Amino acid sequence: MLTFNSTNFRIWSKLGQRGSFFGIAVFEVVEQFHNVMILTADLAYLSGLERFINKHPDKFLNIGIAEQNMLGISSGLAQEGKIVFATTYASFICMRSCEQLRHYLGYMKSNVKIVGTGAGLAMTFSGNTHYAIEDLAIVRAIPNITILSPADATEAVKVALAAAEFNGPVYIRLTGGLNNPIVYKEDYNFEIGKAITITTEGDITIFATGTMVHNSLEAAKILKEKGMQARVVNIHTIKPIDTDSIDYANECSKLLVSIEEHSTIGGLGGTIAEFLSSQPNHTPLLRLGIADQFRHAGDYNYLLEQNRLLPEQIAQDIEKKYVTLNNREPGTLC
Amino acid sequence: MSNLIKYNEAFISSFQITEDQLANLTYQSVQGWDSVGHMALIAALEESFDIMMDTDDIVDFSSYEKGKAILKKYNVTI
Repeated sequence: MLTFNSTNFRIWSKLGQRGSFFGIAVFEVVEQFHNVMILTADLAYLSGLERFINKHPDKFLNIGIAEQNMLGISSGLAQEGKIVFATTYASFICMRSCEQLRHYLGYMKSNVKIVGTGAGLAMTFSGNTHYAIEDLAIVRAIPNITILSPADATEAVKVALAAAEFNGPVYIRLTGGLNNPIVYKEDYNFEIGKAITITTEGDITIFATGTMVHNSLEAAKILKEKGMQARVVNIHTIKPIDTDSIDYANECSKLLVSIEEHSTIGGLGGTIAEFLSSQPNHTPLLRLGIADQFRHAGDYNYLLEQNRLLPEQIAQDIEKKYVTLNNREPGTLC
Repeated sequence: MSNLIKYNEAFISSFQITEDQLANLTYQSVQGWDSVGHMALIAALEESFDIMMDTDDIVDFSSYEKGKAILKKYNVTI
């Protein structure tokens, strides 16, 4: 039985989201659900599955560099009653096998959980071919697939358990590398589809997902020093998104902000914008994320800086937008 | 508690081994010292000695003896 305490949170943070998912959480998943299978497209050891393979060789298949085939086999196993986790880099699983994803998971609703690792900019020097900066936009457009995006390594563990229990196809988007910054220092309740408001006071609401939850909390600290208060909401479920959380923020905030390690088109910001567009007189939304262009490769911090996703830059951009807004009266939900 | 005892305890608890296995211990020489166990060891050492190790040092930490040399960089003498 896994223990959710600060010592383990520190170890899991060291392992990153991928390492804690495949090096820690999957053992708990197998203990609770005996019909689990894990498939990979040639990334067994790079995904941190070494320990799992040694302990459960009968529950593991390495399909080779054949992502489309992996989803076909995964779907077949799922139709025979298995709970299947299929993993490779996020860019490959969402794009190389997009048609299989659409047909086997979206259309057939096979009980397959695809786990995209190295999402966003985490693949650093591997370059743009390995960056997954459009994956949310692609998968979100396919019906019937739930999308989960954990904020830190602890939440990645919770996501693994929740996904195994959930009956239906899921895309799990893992961001960041080793030494994944810790967002949650104490245990908390995780529920698919329910956003978590981490800081509650302020007339700015920041919706963040993945690694950007930590950077948003840091940005909120900088804003506070300048006299501005921001609520930070962890949107760990991109689809179905928690519309109650957006409704509340829309009523009670002067400025809404979305932050993601993903293109500003079609991801978290796009989802919120689509929802707000159906609301009368909605609050302005500032969408921060990866610009609509391909940039040069580099190390992780360099890439975040290029896309203005470091905490200081996030705070600057929010401040710039905030001061241009006229006072807006709060609504009735506040 | 001496630094040596704290150092040994980190290995013993992280890898579920006994003290007599420590002397020639290297990465992957016991089942527990795999990639997951490695990070558990680093976290245990950081907590015991109140340090934060650089990524290069975490990667270089390949044996029980090598670890002693690396910790010296952080003013921890074993």
